[in-house]
Amino acid sequence: MGTQMENAGKSIAGTYQGEGGPLFKLAMVTSLLTLVTLGIYRFWAKTRIRKYIWSSASGDGDSFEYTGTGLEKFLGFLVAIVILAIYLGIVQMGLFYFGLNLFAEPTTEAEMLAQMAAFYISFFAVLPLIFFAQYRSRRYKLARTRWRGVRFGAEKGAWGYAFRKIGHMILTGLTLGILLPRQTFLLEKYVTNRSWYGTEKFEQGGRWSGLYPAMKHIFIGLVILIAGIIIGAVLQTPAITVISGIVGYIWLLVGIVSYRVNAFIYLTAHKELANAIGFTAAPRTGQIIKLYFIGALLIGLILTGITFVIGMAAAAIFAGSIDLAALEQPGADPFTEFNVATLIPVGIAYVVTLAMVGAMSLALIIQPIIRHVIGSITIHNADALDRIGQRDSAEGVDADGFADALDIGGAI
Amino acid sequence: MTALVTGRYYDGLSSKRHQVDITFNSDLTALILSADTLAGGVLFPLKDLRALSDHASRDSLTVTLHFKDSDDESTHHTARLILHDANLIAQLNDLCPNLNNRDIKTGTWSKVIKRSIFAVAAVVISVFVILPRMADTLAEIIPIEREIAFGKAIAAQVEWMLGASELGNLQCNSPEGIAALDRLVARLSKDQGLQYDLDVKVFDHEMINAFALPGGQIIILRGLLDQASGPDEVAGVLAHEIGHVERRDATRHALRAAGSAGILSMALGDFSGGTLAVFLGEQILESSYTREAEAEADVFALSMLNAADVDSTGMAGFFENLQGLEDEMPQVLEYFSTHPASAERAILARENAAGQPTTQSALDDAQWLALRKICD
Repeated sequence: MGTQMENAGKSIAGTYQGEGGPLFKLAMVTSLLTLVTLGIYRFWAKTRIRKYIWSSASGDGDSFEYTGTGLEKFLGFLVAIVILAIYLGIVQMGLFYFGLNLFAEPTTEAEMLAQMAAFYISFFAVLPLIFFAQYRSRRYKLARTRWRGVRFGAEKGAWGYAFRKIGHMILTGLTLGILLPRQTFLLEKYVTNRSWYGTEKFEQGGRWSGLYPAMKHIFIGLVILIAGIIIGAVLQTPAITVISGIVGYIWLLVGIVSYRVNAFIYLTAHKELANAIGFTAAPRTGQIIKLYFIGALLIGLILTGITFVIGMAAAAIFAGSIDLAALEQPGADPFTEFNVATLIPVGIAYVVTLAMVGAMSLALIIQPIIRHVIGSITIHNADALDRIGQRDSAEGVDADGFADALDIGGAI
Repeated sequence: MTALVTGRYYDGLSSKRHQVDITFNSDLTALILSADTLAGGVLFPLKDLRALSDHASRDSLTVTLHFKDSDDESTHHTARLILHDANLIAQLNDLCPNLNNRDIKTGTWSKVIKRSIFAVAAVVISVFVILPRMADTLAEIIPIEREIAFGKAIAAQVEWMLGASELGNLQCNSPEGIAALDRLVARLSKDQGLQYDLDVKVFDHEMINAFALPGGQIIILRGLLDQASGPDEVAGVLAHEIGHVERRDATRHALRAAGSAGILSMALGDFSGGTLAVFLGEQILESSYTREAEAEADVFALSMLNAADVDSTGMAGFFENLQGLEDEMPQVLEYFSTHPASAERAILARENAAGQPTTQSALDDAQWLALRKICD
């Protein structure tokens, strides 16, 4: 499909114009407001950050637009709470009750630990809901995304997504990960084929087996790990096992990033809009890992500096509260002045630092990676965009509420 | 006469771009957009002009129109006008009084209030009505042998958490001590018609504590025996724990905790410091659950002591000691922090003792000595 389309019309390159400073400031201000309002502002915080990031991404000079509102998200959250408070309570307790029937008197530590783990069976009550919420959240975000004045959108299908995902995960688990590309591809196809831009539909092409090359580095990492264990055992040299263990583990971690990046490249190249418009993406694994480490290093350095300053201040407060004269008298309490009130500034400093870490990771890690990925995307045959009409406004329904209540979806 | 300014216009009907010429109308109340592709041009009244908020671009302005009865999710028109001309942007900032207004659809606030009430009611009803009822019912219908197995599993966990290197090796088992303990249990449970066969164990640990587990199991920690001033004190604590066993409090509590797990953190969310708020909330919830159960177990214990002719002054003494310890180190005895104030419980036990006709020490001196040495 590629060559024919590239010749057919003009291409649009993705650009990202967001900057670290303004995003950090926005994230910091909104998370402090969240803190002050005991969490209620978090819906507005997320909305404002999305508005900033969406408006930073553009193609051919036209920015994307996020039209969601904090109020709408808050309302959706309240709806989700009504359902979840009752559903979760009942299902969790029910599962726990049936879990009780699995108990027997443990005779070994291993049995005891296994039974302890069985206590967490109630996690499975949440799992389908988490996937349900993921789809709903994506659907809501698409419905609130516009480009060139035209809405994106997605069809309903959250339960279908949740059950398919659980099925795929079981299958992937049973095949020890060999069917992971099938899971990735079919879930992406499910989601893409239900996505719209204006009056036109997206279509996911390609084959699931096409994702195997993307798994190359995962396989290499595994081979190093397993070969190291075997060779180390045969030669009776633990050093080989340890070294290959470390190398294999790091290779595997990089391999997972590489899989996600290369799967994204493959899936993007096989997406089509309105049977006419194509896409390519060329993010690089090495660049993403580099951006991650530079960001993490910067945050680490800044944090060390701040911790040092706060530590000095806390030490000064603490020292000031000790009655030095009392130290020399046995029986007298030297900590007369040290009460809970002195801990308040330390507590505030701690919470503010936490908020700062969140804001810094958004501005110094997440945003640079988004910039790299968006900058690598090209839209082909863009002339066909002119023919695309507006789609009807979609009801907010729960507006991400389930995702917010279950706390998934991260910073954006 | 203003110089000719251009902008990009999207009509909100299609994704087709219109490169428009922008002029003000004669009385400076509207922008006029004109292009070959736009038949008749478009009028943007300045009072309805709204800028998109939190926009990343510093050198451009995206505006739209306020539109009260919009079928859009916001109160905006779907059309967009993107401006790059710095002069025009500055002029619009001066001329448009409502440029940065946040308009809200009518009826939104009453919706917020209504839904907030529903949400709070749902959480409260779930946590304080539905889940406790359900836990009570399930605790009643669970087969006793299942409950015993569950209790044994918890006993193993308790032992493991207290630092047993191997299951069973924290358990104290001097034969004389066990005989004394059995005697005490037999004396207390005589003629009580208990539903459970009691299984009382002592674990070798310095903490001053005792727990009732599901299915009739009771664990006493050695610290409690060391600290007790006499057998009557231990009898009081034991009677209290038997009360929990009979009421199936441990099973009920575990069911309730499983049901309400995560509901609070769901409502509060994971903002910085939120974890702390959730923790405090759960503590409060927990203590409101248990206070009632503790008070009832105390009442049960007193009537049990009365039936067995054991002086409840011992129980009062235990609570008084506990009160002393609580005053010294409030956070150490976390188990007891969920109990009603120890001083009040001591008073109840003393009042009960005043009404007891004849009493007999719970164990004789030799038995008491044997019980204290059960871990040796």
